[in-house]
Amino acid sequence: MTTVEKLKEILVKDLNLEELTPGDIDENAPLFGEGLGLDSLDAVELVVIVQKHFGIDIQNMDEAKTAFQSIHALASYIEGRLSSG
Amino acid sequence: MDETDARQERKSWSARSIGSRWQHQFFYTLIRLAGRRAAHVLVVFVALYYVLFRPSVRARSRPYLSRRFPGRNGLLRLWDSYRITVEIGQVLVDRAALGILGPGQLTVRHSGREDLLEQVREGRGVILVTAHAGCWQFAIEGLHMLETPVSLLLHREEDDVDLHIFEHRGEDAAFRIIDPAGPLGGALEMLQVLKHGEVLCIMGDRAMGGDRSTVEVAFLGGRVRVPFIPYQLASTTGAPVVVIFPYKSGPGNYSLQVAEVIRVPEDLGRTPEAYRPYAEAFIRALEGFVEERPYQFFNFFDMWNQELIR
Repeated sequence: MTTVEKLKEILVKDLNLEELTPGDIDENAPLFGEGLGLDSLDAVELVVIVQKHFGIDIQNMDEAKTAFQSIHALASYIEGRLSSG
Repeated sequence: MDETDARQERKSWSARSIGSRWQHQFFYTLIRLAGRRAAHVLVVFVALYYVLFRPSVRARSRPYLSRRFPGRNGLLRLWDSYRITVEIGQVLVDRAALGILGPGQLTVRHSGREDLLEQVREGRGVILVTAHAGCWQFAIEGLHMLETPVSLLLHREEDDVDLHIFEHRGEDAAFRIIDPAGPLGGALEMLQVLKHGEVLCIMGDRAMGGDRSTVEVAFLGGRVRVPFIPYQLASTTGAPVVVIFPYKSGPGNYSLQVAEVIRVPEDLGRTPEAYRPYAEAFIRALEGFVEERPYQFFNFFDMWNQELIR
C-alpha cells in the first residue's frame, strides 16, 4: 500500500469522514476549505495522525502548512521525513 | 467561501467598543491631565446616561443579568445594568491608565504564581483558559513573571477604537497575538506555541465558529456552546489547562485567580463529545466566579441564544 492510499484510509477513519470512502478522495484536492472540507480542528488532529501512524513529530508548523495542502503533499512530506531518518 | 469568510458571516457578536472614537480620546486626555480617579468619577455619570437613555446598552447585558439574577425586574434590573456598566467602564479606564501613565497606577497580585510556574516547568506548554471577566489584559501583562513567551488567541475588529495597554505606550505587545480569523483558525500556530513549551491563552467562553468547533454545556440554568479547542490542544500536546480569572479586587487593585487545573487525557480524537467533561469543568469554575463577582463578567453577548453562535 502506498503512503497516499494509507493516508486516505486513515483520514476517513480517524477524522470520521463517514460520507466518504478512500476511493472518493482526490489526492491532489486541497485538504481544507472546498476540497476535502477539513477545518482548523482537523488540522490539529492531522498533526496527531502523522505522529501516531508514521512516528513523525511535526514541530515546525510552517512545514505543516505546506504539507497540509493536499494528501499528495502530505504523503511527500512523510516520505521525505522517513527517508531522512 | 473559505473558512474565514464563513466564520465572519456566522459571527453575530462584536468585540467593538460601544463608545465612539472621540469619546475614547476624551477619556484618554482626561486620564493624562487629571488622572485615573477623575476618569472613574466621569464613568459613573457616563454609565448612568448609557443605562437610562441607550436601551441597546441595557439589552447587551440583559441575557447574562436575567440568568444571574432571575426574577429581578424594574429598578433592580436597572441597578444591575448600571453596576455592570460602571464596572466595565472603570476597568477600561484602569487599563488605559496603565498604558498612558505607566505601572505604579495599579497593583496586580498573582495569587497562583507558584502554581503557574510549576505547570510551565513541566515543559509541555500551558493553556490558560480565561473568560470575559475582570481585565484579562492585566493578567497577560503580568505573565512576564513566567519568563516564557505568551501567545494570545485574539480577534480584533478592524474598526475598533479601544486601544490596548501596549498601544497606549507605543510599544510592541508583551505577548504574541494569534488571530482566530487567520489561516486554519490559528490552530497550527497554537500547536506550535505548546510544542515549544510556551504559554497559550484562550477565551473559553466565546465560540468563534459553528457547531463543529463547540460543545454544548449548562451555564446559569441554560445551555451554551463553548469552544473545545483548548481541551483538544491539551489532549494533543499533554499541556495542562489552567483556568484563570483576573478580577478587580479593590480600588486600584487587581488579582489573578487560578481557579482550576484541568488535565485532559491524550488522544481523545476529534469528536466534541469527548471534550464535554473538560468544557464543563471550565464552566463550573466560571459559575463560581460569577457567583462571587457578578458584576465582573463582561460577556455582553447572548450566549444562550443558539442561533446567534451558528
